[in-house]
Amino acid sequence: MRVRPRPDTGLPIRIAFLILGIVATLVLAGPYLAPHDPLAQNPYALLQWPSQDHWLGTDAFGRDVLSRLLAGSRVSILASLLSVAIGLLFGVVPGLASVFLNRHFEWLSLRLIDALMTLPFLVFAIAMTAMLGNGLVQAMFAVGILITPAFYRVSRAAALSVVNSDYIEAARLMGASTFFIIRRHVLSKVLPAVAVTTAAMAGACLSIVASLTFLGIGVVPPEPTWGGLLATDLTTLYERPFGPFAPGLLIVATVWALNALADGLRDRITQPQEAQA
Amino acid sequence: MTLASPVLTPREAGLPSPAPAIRRKHWISRLRFLGSLLAIIIPVFLLATFITFLLGYASGLDPAAGIAGDAATPEMIARIRADYGLDRPVLIQYLDWMGGIVRGDFGTSWFNGVPVTQLILQRLPISLSVASAALLIGVTIGSLLGIGATVWRGSLFDRCVTIFASIASALPPFVVTIGLILIFSLWLNLLPSAGYIPFSEDPGGWLRIIAIPAMALSVDIIADLARQLRTGLVATLSENYVTGAIVRGLSPRRVLFVHVLRNGAGPALSMLALRVPMLIGGAVVTESIFTMPGLGKMAADSALRGDVPVVQGTLVVSILLVLLCSLVINLLLGMLQPAARRRN
Repeated sequence: MRVRPRPDTGLPIRIAFLILGIVATLVLAGPYLAPHDPLAQNPYALLQWPSQDHWLGTDAFGRDVLSRLLAGSRVSILASLLSVAIGLLFGVVPGLASVFLNRHFEWLSLRLIDALMTLPFLVFAIAMTAMLGNGLVQAMFAVGILITPAFYRVSRAAALSVVNSDYIEAARLMGASTFFIIRRHVLSKVLPAVAVTTAAMAGACLSIVASLTFLGIGVVPPEPTWGGLLATDLTTLYERPFGPFAPGLLIVATVWALNALADGLRDRITQPQEAQA
Repeated sequence: MTLASPVLTPREAGLPSPAPAIRRKHWISRLRFLGSLLAIIIPVFLLATFITFLLGYASGLDPAAGIAGDAATPEMIARIRADYGLDRPVLIQYLDWMGGIVRGDFGTSWFNGVPVTQLILQRLPISLSVASAALLIGVTIGSLLGIGATVWRGSLFDRCVTIFASIASALPPFVVTIGLILIFSLWLNLLPSAGYIPFSEDPGGWLRIIAIPAMALSVDIIADLARQLRTGLVATLSENYVTGAIVRGLSPRRVLFVHVLRNGAGPALSMLALRVPMLIGGAVVTESIFTMPGLGKMAADSALRGDVPVVQGTLVVSILLVLLCSLVINLLLGMLQPAARRRN
């Protein structure tokens, strides 16, 4: 049988890094790159099609869409990073604790994680913002809590795979404290798995942030966000049918890049021999 | 047992059918499996509803200001709070609320005094019809793509499925919805882009109106199912018992559908159970784009109005739906793969 060369698995990763680089530039420099003031209304240039002055046209208030897109990058990206950080903190620590603390904590935390997994994301996030005040931080806190199960399960599974191994037994017999064992022997097994989850969850959170801002939750109206731009585009779909493309493409490309990064990392970790060969 | 002796069922061997004791044991193992599932599901239900309840409690919202109006005195507010039972300890309030839910009473809306059960029953069919249509499309197309990619693995079809799944899983439902509205409503002028028609009034109109939301919500399911199914099936194909079945001359179709699918579909089925909460979440966005009076839209509207009982009621109903789906899928897994019952 003819051996086919393996397809270049590095290509998606390279594209992903390119996209993430562009997005990072938008986040850092977006407001300075904007050709117009994202909030400035121009009653003489409503709902314009793309032109030299307005590359992506103008919206129903005569605001420059490109400037709003650039200015909206920061909120959209930073909000999803915030919820990933919350999920990471509240997922990994209990995940490790469930392996090393007593059985009661293990049982309770497992059921709590199961309970969190049954809550529908968007409804819960909406409820939380409504009841704790309509702010992006509240919304992101809700999303962060709801993604903890992913981090919890991944770090718990990785820790369980090494906790009964001989070298940890040996360390314990030599009198090493639990904290030392986690830091020295367990973290190195847990971190790669957590890195994959972080990338995947960053993509998921971005998609949720976009959905929430699309519904008008977590931001005050004139403030531009990717999801918010799509919502305004939806109301003027007949006048500007091309409107949703630019923000939609940005959201989809970023989420895809983060997913591809997660897949690439997973391949590296699960097949280390193959990657070295 | 030597190779020469054919395997006979007890009946063929002239033995009596399994003794009652064995049959009883079989039933006991089934019941024990169901019991072990319920032992997990009931605490999860209680915890999830308690989180839901605490959310409303911690909000500090109450109907008093709305009812008493601008001329409210502190005494009036205290009396209204007492009428609603909001001055009692949190655990008592939770138990009272839970007792109501068990009897099918979710309380009344703070906004218009309508029983929450009635509001939910009005809107549930709308959300359920969209969600089940999405599930039906997703499972059908997803399984076809996954099985196809397994059968013709390494082919162009397989790579196309992989690329499609990778892009589709990055598409948020509301972006897909907008895209489908652009294509089917604006350009092709085939499907409506807003509103809702009940099935009982006009089945054709109902199907046309739920088509876009259902398609939009199914994209995620198609992508995940195709990918999980392909991974699971390809892994199962390299098992020894599959080689054994091929060597014994079973047809490829029989090997795939009877031997491989049964064991390889496990991860895909478990994934499907995890998809249900997201389906309900996605419904919020599609319902709000389509201005459909569904459960998701009601939850969002009530949350923004501070109507705590309605939000809590919808959350409880979606928790129940999620747990019911996961129970069904776990029972299905237990039936497909008796070994799954032995876990834990």
